[in-house]
Amino acid sequence: MPQTQAYEAPRTLADAVRLLSTDGHARPLAGGTDLLVQSRATQKLPSTFVDLKRIPELVGIEVGPDGLRLGAATSAAVICEHAEARRLWPGLVEAIGLLGSTQIQGRASVGGNLCNGSPAADTTCSLIVNRARGVIAGAKGERTVEVERFTTGPGRTVLEPGDLLVALVVPRPAARTADAYLRLIPRSEMDIAAAGAAASVTLDERGVCTAARVAIGAVAPTALLVPAAADALIGSRLDDAALRRAADAASAAARPIDDKRGTAVYRKTVVGVLTRRAAGIAAERARARP
Amino acid sequence: MATVHFSRGLARYTGGVESLTVDAPRVQELLVVVTERFPGLTQPLEVMAIAVDGEVHQHHDYLKLRPDSEIHFVPQIAGG
Amino acid sequence: MSTATKTFEHVGTRPIRHDGLDKVTGRANYGADYALPGMLHGYVVRSPHAHARIVSIDTSAAEAMAGVKAVVTGSDIPKTNAKLVMGEAALDLGAMGDNALAHDKALYEGHAVAAVAATSPEIASAAAEAIRVVYEPLQPVMNVDQALAPDALILHDGMVTKGRPKPDAPTRTNVALRMELTRGDLDKGFAGADVVIERTFTTPMVHQGYIEPHACVARWGEDGQVVVWTSTQGHFVVRDCCAGILGIDAARIKVIPSEIGGGFGGKIPVYLEPVAIALARKAHRPVKLVMSREDVFRASGPTSGTKIRVKLGAKKDGSFVAASASLYYEAGAYAGSPAGAGAMCAIAAYDIPNFLVEAYDIVVNRPKVAAYRAPGAPAAAFAVESVVDEVARRLGKDPIELRLQNAVREGDQAAYGPEFGPIGLREVLEAARCHPHWKAPLVPQPGRKVGRGVACGFWFNAGLNSSATVSLSADGSANVVTGNPDIGGTRVAQALMVSEELGIPVERVRPIVADTDSIGYNDVTGGSRVCYATGMAVIEAARDAQAQLRARAAKIWDVPVEQVGWERGRAIALNGASGREPLTVSELAAKLMHTGGPIIGSATVNAPMAGPAFGAHICDLEVDEDTGVSRVVRYTVVQDVGKAVHPSYVEGQMQGGASQGIGWALNEEYVYDAEGHLQNPGFLDYRMPVASDLPMIDTVIIEVANPLHPYGVRGVGEVPIVPPLAAVANAMHDATRVRFTALPLSPPRVLAALKQRG
Ligand SMILES: Cc1cc2nc3c(=O)[nH]c(=O)nc-3n(C[C@H](O)[C@H](O)[C@H](O)COP(=O)(O)OP(=O)(O)OC[C@H]3O[C@@H](n4cnc5c(N)ncnc54)[C@H](O)[C@@H]3O)c2cc1C
Repeated sequence: MPQTQAYEAPRTLADAVRLLSTDGHARPLAGGTDLLVQSRATQKLPSTFVDLKRIPELVGIEVGPDGLRLGAATSAAVICEHAEARRLWPGLVEAIGLLGSTQIQGRASVGGNLCNGSPAADTTCSLIVNRARGVIAGAKGERTVEVERFTTGPGRTVLEPGDLLVALVVPRPAARTADAYLRLIPRSEMDIAAAGAAASVTLDERGVCTAARVAIGAVAPTALLVPAAADALIGSRLDDAALRRAADAASAAARPIDDKRGTAVYRKTVVGVLTRRAAGIAAERARARP
Repeated sequence: MATVHFSRGLARYTGGVESLTVDAPRVQELLVVVTERFPGLTQPLEVMAIAVDGEVHQHHDYLKLRPDSEIHFVPQIAGG
Repeated sequence: MSTATKTFEHVGTRPIRHDGLDKVTGRANYGADYALPGMLHGYVVRSPHAHARIVSIDTSAAEAMAGVKAVVTGSDIPKTNAKLVMGEAALDLGAMGDNALAHDKALYEGHAVAAVAATSPEIASAAAEAIRVVYEPLQPVMNVDQALAPDALILHDGMVTKGRPKPDAPTRTNVALRMELTRGDLDKGFAGADVVIERTFTTPMVHQGYIEPHACVARWGEDGQVVVWTSTQGHFVVRDCCAGILGIDAARIKVIPSEIGGGFGGKIPVYLEPVAIALARKAHRPVKLVMSREDVFRASGPTSGTKIRVKLGAKKDGSFVAASASLYYEAGAYAGSPAGAGAMCAIAAYDIPNFLVEAYDIVVNRPKVAAYRAPGAPAAAFAVESVVDEVARRLGKDPIELRLQNAVREGDQAAYGPEFGPIGLREVLEAARCHPHWKAPLVPQPGRKVGRGVACGFWFNAGLNSSATVSLSADGSANVVTGNPDIGGTRVAQALMVSEELGIPVERVRPIVADTDSIGYNDVTGGSRVCYATGMAVIEAARDAQAQLRARAAKIWDVPVEQVGWERGRAIALNGASGREPLTVSELAAKLMHTGGPIIGSATVNAPMAGPAFGAHICDLEVDEDTGVSRVVRYTVVQDVGKAVHPSYVEGQMQGGASQGIGWALNEEYVYDAEGHLQNPGFLDYRMPVASDLPMIDTVIIEVANPLHPYGVRGVGEVPIVPPLAAVANAMHDATRVRFTALPLSPPRVLAALKQRG
């Protein structure tokens, strides 16, 4: 691998933003589990690695009355150990727990997963169904973006040169609300999703679904929020027929391609299956909640 | 007299002869007799190994034959 | 001595391997771990086209770059017609040289066309980019059907079909070889059958997936002496291939093998070594070449994709009466697929009176295949064992019962010619039938279907040439030196053999893999031959040392040597000399210098092909019928190994072979686009199983002694990759009632078939 010119580990957000906005070839480095692998594969190194892991705003996980604030560079392993986060967003934390393997978990971050811009990234769908927003810092100041708008195409995001994703904020779920995420990989781990689906559902006291969100991954250039699938669930008791309608809506929304990871027909079918199952799991979880 | 067996595929080159008894002390002499009798066999045998009494040999020219030896030609293989 | 009743003291125990600690602590040196003072880094320029004429190569810009010390192309490798006899097969050195650096045509994507050596890897890769190769792209020929099409482009002008071409075969051809095996009267045989099943199967090209990529360092000395450090399965073959390819005297080449991180047959051919030598010769400096994982997938030797048609006829009572099979194997860019071996293995397990098996070796624009564990056999067994399964179902017979009924036994004439000696197929099948796995109820998880499959496999096992020495130290310890890179735990097995013969504890025996200058010739570590054949040389060398020790005891006791025997690692006095206390090896060793000096036992063997061996595998598979995803949930390997010298490593071979076979069955495949570009040259998308994909694989060792070996050893490493393809597919059929004839059973393929089934 060619030698990189520099490695910087700024301790403040301002320093990081300055480093990134003054040098167009500098790249943020969180866990490096995408960036370093890609640099090696393409033999192209950034001029500077700007390591984000020493910036206080970017690491750590807090659950408060408003919800979750997740430092963008927090490692998956740290998040998965957070009992309260696991309880409130079981689907999201499960998605984070799917990243790679034990070794990868010690490094990989949710921010990196999102900023890498892969349509198959495992955390995106769960972030979307939980209405997560990204807090972005840049030369022009701070702004927030809904996760469903964050990725704009394969490998592309709304981040502009010099921008940093600082944190992800997720509102606290309403009563009797729960989420779930499922992905399809041919192997049991160390694989890229051929399709993924997340669902979040809210029930009233009688078990009728009053709100829902469904997102699907790896079946279009970006992860997709599928309102039609949510509509199929809302107003139902999340019975089999409703789940199947949601599955059909998800399959209909999918626009996959044929590639080495699966045929388009296959992905369209299984994204429906995953949607049905994820919504079913979310429903069970929601029913178990006070 | 050792007995040489020709599989049906090889028998195409022997005019249908499926076995032959040959009086030869060693494989080398045996092969000379066989290919003189059936010149068409020379080329196909180039890609064959030889089995003498059930054991497949690689360097077989000087292998001594017993009077009741059984000889088969087998395709070459390579192991992994 | 009857091997069946032979009892062992050391053989059959499970000591820790001598090379173990270095490996688990990262101290062991693999191919890429070598570095020499002044060493240059090489980079290989590879063809982006699957099939192209090389019009010109302009290296001037690269040569002008600072830090670039040498550039080589095909013109640095003489064209040759030389062959090198290796094992039963001859290596075509001309093709191997052309594969190392193409002369006139690029024959697959990734084919090496030039190489540079520079003072850093960065300069080398930048220089490689500066090399201008002008190609005239040609239509790629990617598979058997394309290669056999009447209007197919011909890869090699002048190729003629060797072996037994059909009389009406075209003269311009991509078929390098056709062979056939026949017996009896096929038409009559099928006419007498009550059930006839005929199907056509395909298997994809797959890679061995060894963890360590190819890597070597070559040094060309001022005196013209060449030293090569490399990761290989056979350094003597590397030496002889490099000499033949480069037209230099083998006496000037010394090859030092590194530790090896897997090979499975794929590290028998040379790829980098001749190129590194050619660069070192030009640069007057040592040169290191290392393949990336992508290079390994694109440009080393995977095994053939195949298309196999099988027809099997059986009577109502279950006896097989006739079989025919046509096997088409992709050789890759040059002749030499394992089609012949596939044909010989296809029906080797069964006694069938009438058959015709034909095999075709077909060149295509893919990397030249190399050996892969029982080369040729797994694909053939997939086809035949699937059809056998179907016959069993059709007749309502237990599949193990049906196999037992038709299984070959000692004295039967093998389909490939000679008579079988003692073989263990029946013992293996009996053991499988009695195994608790075979009787355990199948309990599906909710929402899943579950099925059980069984299949047999056969492999010849090689013998070939080996040398060994055993030298005794004055402290009573010993060195055992051979020339076979240790892939599967052969060093500890050899040490155990020395322990057995001389009574020296295994920790006091140092097994060494010596370079080409330091030990007599050894054929490659391949064909499951090392524990068997090199083991025989070790045993004989140890017995030679033992004879010398007896002579020393005779000297000490002042009796004729005939009056000294050997028992349990001690010299004992026989009749005439009785009354003397036995002398242990340590006691004798302590007196070495007083009784005649050091002792070295040595032996060489030219072993006949080793005892053939059979295995039977049982597989339980669970399928999610909504997604097509399947998992192997239970797996048992039963195999006749002759004698397990170190049972842990025997079991490891059985489990490893099964794992690779399961990967082949479920997810592994070379995926090419229409232009012949490989789409998945990495472990992310070339899906070998990961540890969590597989259950613990149960093993049952059967020991039917091989009379050709003093301990009864048979080869072990190859048989276990033969049955899994069919065992998995048969389990899939049991679960879904769909007969899959194309591998891999990847989720999209399975789901599509389930949809069709309805
Ligand atoms: C063996 C292995 C297995 C894997 N398995 C999975 C899997 O199962 N599922 C999955 O989705 N992914 C998987 N991945 C991919 C990768 O691990 C994840 O995408 C991970 O979340 C990336 O996080 P990171 O912190 O390592 O990102 P990095 O590699 O550090 O960064 C990724 C990209 O995002 C940019 N970036 C990072 N942080 C920020 C930030 N805060 N602001 C702006 N830009 C930023 C970087 O510049 C880079 O372009 C796997 C990777 C490997 C090597």
